[in-house]
Amino acid sequence: MGRRGFLRLGALAGGSILLAACGGGGDSASGGSTTGGTLRWGWALVTSWDPITSSAGWDVHALSLVYAGLTKLDEKANPVPALASSWEYSADGTSVTFHLRSGLTFSDGTAVDATAVKKSLERGRDSKNSLVAAQLASLKEVVAVDATTVRIDLKNTDYQLPAILAGKTGMIVSPKAVETDEKGLATKPVGAGPFQLNSYVPNDSAKLTRFAGYWDAANIKPDNFELYPAPEAATALASLQSGRLDVAMIPASQLNAVKAAGFEVQIIPSLVTSVLDVNNTVAPFDNPKVVQAIKHAVDRKALVDTVNFGVGEVNYQPFPKGHAGHNAALENAYPFDVAKAKKLLAEAGHPDGIDVTLTTTAAEGLPEQVQAQLAKAGIRVKLEVIPQAQATQQVYIQRAKPFFTDQFAGRESPVQAFQVLFGEQGLMNPGRTNPPALKEAVAKITATPLDDPNYASVVQAATKIAVETMPNVFLFSNPRILARRTNVSQLGSYLMAQRFEGVTVTGNS
Amino acid sequence: MSVLRRMIRLRSVRLALLVLAVVAVLAVAGGSLAPQDPIAQDPKAILQNPSGAHWLGTDYLGRDVLSRLMDATGRSVVGAAEAVGVGLLLGAPAGLASVVFGRAFEWLALRISDALLTLPYIIFAIAVTGIIGNGIHQAMLAIGLVLAPNYFRITRAATLGLASSQYVEIAELVGASRWWILRTHIWNKVLPTIVVTAASGAAASLLVVSSLSFLGIGTKPPAPTWGGMLSSDLNYLAQRPWAPLAPSLVIIITVAALNALADALRDTTGIVTGDPGRSGRARGSDSADTAETSSAATANSAVTAGSAVATSSAATATATGSVETTTAATSSIPRQKREVSDV
Repeated sequence: MGRRGFLRLGALAGGSILLAACGGGGDSASGGSTTGGTLRWGWALVTSWDPITSSAGWDVHALSLVYAGLTKLDEKANPVPALASSWEYSADGTSVTFHLRSGLTFSDGTAVDATAVKKSLERGRDSKNSLVAAQLASLKEVVAVDATTVRIDLKNTDYQLPAILAGKTGMIVSPKAVETDEKGLATKPVGAGPFQLNSYVPNDSAKLTRFAGYWDAANIKPDNFELYPAPEAATALASLQSGRLDVAMIPASQLNAVKAAGFEVQIIPSLVTSVLDVNNTVAPFDNPKVVQAIKHAVDRKALVDTVNFGVGEVNYQPFPKGHAGHNAALENAYPFDVAKAKKLLAEAGHPDGIDVTLTTTAAEGLPEQVQAQLAKAGIRVKLEVIPQAQATQQVYIQRAKPFFTDQFAGRESPVQAFQVLFGEQGLMNPGRTNPPALKEAVAKITATPLDDPNYASVVQAATKIAVETMPNVFLFSNPRILARRTNVSQLGSYLMAQRFEGVTVTGNS
Repeated sequence: MSVLRRMIRLRSVRLALLVLAVVAVLAVAGGSLAPQDPIAQDPKAILQNPSGAHWLGTDYLGRDVLSRLMDATGRSVVGAAEAVGVGLLLGAPAGLASVVFGRAFEWLALRISDALLTLPYIIFAIAVTGIIGNGIHQAMLAIGLVLAPNYFRITRAATLGLASSQYVEIAELVGASRWWILRTHIWNKVLPTIVVTAASGAAASLLVVSSLSFLGIGTKPPAPTWGGMLSSDLNYLAQRPWAPLAPSLVIIITVAALNALADALRDTTGIVTGDPGRSGRARGSDSADTAETSSAATANSAVTAGSAVATSSAATATATGSVETTTAATSSIPRQKREVSDV
């Protein structure tokens, strides 16, 4: 019964969730009936198992294993029901009511009810250590109407909330765990997700078991789930061959070798976009023509072919094809044109070229190639390598590095993406300025319901303004390359966080 | 000098000198001798196998590997020389001085050297570059600092043996100044020991330079180093499985030449830089911590603690046997005495 309602809503949301619910999507061999086994995933471990103190956007994949939110994202990154079976907005969009599934519990046995949801969301908004507080700032009040009804009153109209709550921001944490040992959540998460954590060794492994109380437990097949860091390029193939990993994220360089060895490889479109962050308040980048010259001087196709071995798509905007925010009119926004770059540079007052410093955490590969490409247009790049551990501090917080090679991991809601990339507090907007037109366009997204027929065009209008006025140099979309042993069924093709509904593993204990 | 003549008669020495001569030429003019531009990229010809156009193939950005190897020589060798230079400059004079210039200085120098001995090479270099900036000179300064206690210990051990010899005591009795004794009786006899240590130290430093660029510390891409090339080749084993051989062989051959020279120097001068049984065993073992710190033993100066040049890096493992345990133990003192009595 729950399944039927779920399917109906899934169909409304684009039908893609239906595939996941049926187990293994197009892979007819698995049939979705096999339960048991252990799935070992070579991916990444978390900065913290507490969703509100986790400091890396990437953590959402691992945290989704142990936590569930009111909503989750389907394969196309649309919010669909999770802990809440449905929701409705008030007429003016300033209040939204979520209806929880009844009888659910956290992995510590306490009930997932309206009070728990209220406490968890308020903790995310009000806790001193919360890194998701900004996302929840628009919450005026969370009201537990009855045990299974939560009403969220907003400070202003915000139709993005169901999407925002599908990520780390909306992961519901057991209030009992918070009361007894809040700090301990960083290593001992208590949620209502598909799995529960049994043991965890930071930077090494996390071992989880299936949580029977998960609302969609019928679609979670493996009994055990183990999480490891992604393998190095040199060991990717061996880790699959030896069976140390069943599913592994592999570098594009290993694609052919892994395929040739008989493993299945899925190239899953993702929101991850390679980008050069530019601070347009610092010379020489304060001259828009210099930034434009850089945008035209980069040969993105060559980057994809060399650095990514042809995997990935040239992109001039923060959203990949297939995402609501992807504006088709921007598909060739800044074509590779050395002559034009030189001309722009001359117009900017640098006829003899210009010297800039490109900061990176690992110079090998993309930065070296960008350096060589820009040199052809007269932009002489000096590479500066800073340790990964200092990158956040130096680039995002001190804003001491005006030109930085970065990767945007994507966000649940396009509004969040706009905030991070272009907002006045946006980490990847080192200039911390943006034009009023962009603010208005983003405000318009917030005020447009997701099912409004104009929604996509409203988002795309904002994308256009951002790409044309902001200095970020978008390069290409990076698909997620997941290789798997043949005993694991096909994985879902999730744009945002990878999920494992319907995935089976056989002959593996 | 007869030592040199005796050395040059050895085939291993001639071969080593030849290798080092080639390395020296490449170090000075590698970039200009290279057949192609070592940093010119060709995205259409990445990771290619050896061919007429690229004798050793191309790397992940389509750059000519042979040209890069040649161009990398200078950077790799100068880095090693810097580290050894800093180590010698800080260690050797202090080692001499610790014997000659009184108790207070001796105590202080020993404690500082003990403290430095506890620092692991690579981690210290990473910390230093993190603080004073990521560059080859900063990294090598750090490595030199960590190398210094080895030179200090070995110089001190050799000097101690000489300082208690009868002719030095006689010189003291007849009123020779400390400086005169140092210059006349000690310095020239300690020098060969230091040279041997420096040679094996240079070999170790070459490996450290390589392992540091392996970790992305020191030189910055696109400028190539041997270690940097080795490290990036490992990421493309599927495309070019033999590729890491080229930079590894260059490192191994250079290190081997330096070691051959050091061995020959030791053999021809009769200076024992290690109990043969012990150093034989230490060779080939990659135990990271052979550095002994026995302050009790050094205090009564009967036994001098040996120190070992060993790094815990991956590169060490590729060239095991090259990093030599140089121990100036009690056994070296009688030998030196014998040599002295021959004079």
